[in-house]
Amino acid sequence: MRTYFLGAGLHTCLGKGVAANLAALRAPPALPSVQILPLGAEEQRVPVHLLADEPLDDIENRQMKVVDGVVREALTASGLSEADIRELAIFVGTSSLDISITEEVYQRELAAGLDAHPLTANSAMGNFTKLIRQRFGIRGPDYTVNTACTAAANALMYADAMIRAGKIKHALIIGLESFNRITALGFSSLGLLAPDGMRPFDKDRRGIALGEGCSAMVVGAEPKRENSFYLRGGANICDIFSITAANSDGSTVSGVIRDAMANAKIAKEDITAIKTHGTASLLNDEAESAGMKQVFEKMPPLCAIKPFIGHTFGACGLNELILFCGALEEGFLIATPGIGADENELGVVLTQERTPVAPGVFMLNYFGFGGNNTSLVIANAG
Amino acid sequence: MPGNTIYLRGIGNYYAPVEDKPAELKALVKEATGDAVRRVGRFIQMALVGAGRCVAGRKLPPETGVYFTSGRGDLEVTIEVMEELFRDGHPPKPLNFINTVSNAACFYVAKQFGLHGRSTFLGNSFFSFETALQLAMLDLELGDVKSALVGSVDIVVPPVELHRRRLKIAPETPVAEGAHWLWLSAEKGEGARGAVQAAEFFTGRDALIAWVAKQDLNANETLIAAGQFLSDADLAEIKKASGLTRDFAYRDSLSYYDSQSGAAVAAFLESKTGEVLLHVNADPDGRCAAFIIRK
Repeated sequence: MRTYFLGAGLHTCLGKGVAANLAALRAPPALPSVQILPLGAEEQRVPVHLLADEPLDDIENRQMKVVDGVVREALTASGLSEADIRELAIFVGTSSLDISITEEVYQRELAAGLDAHPLTANSAMGNFTKLIRQRFGIRGPDYTVNTACTAAANALMYADAMIRAGKIKHALIIGLESFNRITALGFSSLGLLAPDGMRPFDKDRRGIALGEGCSAMVVGAEPKRENSFYLRGGANICDIFSITAANSDGSTVSGVIRDAMANAKIAKEDITAIKTHGTASLLNDEAESAGMKQVFEKMPPLCAIKPFIGHTFGACGLNELILFCGALEEGFLIATPGIGADENELGVVLTQERTPVAPGVFMLNYFGFGGNNTSLVIANAG
Repeated sequence: MPGNTIYLRGIGNYYAPVEDKPAELKALVKEATGDAVRRVGRFIQMALVGAGRCVAGRKLPPETGVYFTSGRGDLEVTIEVMEELFRDGHPPKPLNFINTVSNAACFYVAKQFGLHGRSTFLGNSFFSFETALQLAMLDLELGDVKSALVGSVDIVVPPVELHRRRLKIAPETPVAEGAHWLWLSAEKGEGARGAVQAAEFFTGRDALIAWVAKQDLNANETLIAAGQFLSDADLAEIKKASGLTRDFAYRDSLSYYDSQSGAAVAAFLESKTGEVLLHVNADPDGRCAAFIIRK
């Protein structure tokens, strides 16, 4: 039994809706905007790709408005009946969940001189899924997966497992990352922010730009059409080398890639192209390039998506999957002209021009804080 | 497919009612793990205490997966970061910021016991323990993993009156902290304490009742335990429909914390009554969850 991708919704800095996002991918990546955040008596400048067409105001309602649009797009595209929607299982992949709202409430109460304390408005990790369930009349189980940057990819793997086990017919997977100050200033504290955009595997890479993104995808055991994408396999491991980065010798990256290929029952020669994690941080790109080189003597074409939308953290697993699949269905592999163009000490290069691609087998890699490494194998042929 | 026996090879618990300040955990971490784990907060400490007691000095297979859950997550570190940032105007300290990702606790548990299998943190309001147990069972039954460490933690951040406000529970409600860990394995091995027969979710009570009817539960040997969010009326209906009459009333002795269902497993295995436990729970929307433990 396989888990097919039946319908998607997406809202990133590139646009509202999958079609708008795919259209924007045809142009080179744009630089992030800069948000100026007060910090005591000073200010911090934070590079961020904010959502298109969704001003950064009315924070307490903004997130749900975005999620509502994205989920509706996915449900409509999937063609599920009301009865099927009622039975859906929900898997949310996120690293920051609804912390943007929690921050806003706390700041408002502090400013008003109230007896303000963090997390008094909401502290329940399942509150977000409750709101989604109630809004869409869903009564299946819900799982909020919080494994940093691999969260939405892991959410997809669990949805797949439940479908293969025959426990559910369909699942709704949601990736969620909203701009919030803890994440912005936390990464600033770690010295990982790059003001000039993300340049994965590039000699001039300097780190990440934050990204906002919300995605939704309905999956199920029956394909909607010929050549529908499906999850062919995947793997998730815990890399106990460091809580902040994969082992830079590449051993754990190559390990999860090999595990994913074994799980998908494919050989390395079967892989048509790879979507890299590509955070453009010194350690991640070292570990990722070393790991890929250990597995592939002849490297498949590589692409990176974060230069377009920033790092959308726990949501990137689904945001990037939808963009990657969408571009492939339109017949091309995503290119980042001028980024990762030359083979430097890392020894890998990214696709520079939009390249025609036939249906095949593809890999998507994700690595997160907490030593969480995930590799997915998807296919739309065979 | 499902139907394989999943063995319970280890259990570790920490439970402590909190009236004023929570108890110090450093010594318990050392006692449970053999190491003084430094620079971690209460949430991670409690995960290590529960997991350490569960592992009990044994060497787990390195590919063991970690399935960790909480109703509220690491409240302590999130509160600290928010107060520093918004009240005091200081940026998050790097380690505090890193530990705001809930799976930081998974990392410390995996590192402590040399594990590099799957690693998952799951948040859920009313079925937190049940979600982790269900996904671990799923991976074990599908053969995706052979060994799993399943755990839950919910902590108290004082003052207790404010903690109750955060939990949205009535003033004066007794509160507690709890960590509950199970080592599950597809292989019986030495010292298996019992088996997990099933862990399932249902869209409502009728679906649960229909499922219970198919479980071949002998009323003489099966106890039924109500989770903390199941109403007495629902329990009565389930008992009536299933013919199960023997209660296992573990919840009556526990103060409030979200992942209380995890306490049922050890309480049942240590009790001298019954051979099988059917644990049922429900959320305010009427969805249900159940698991079955066999001695």
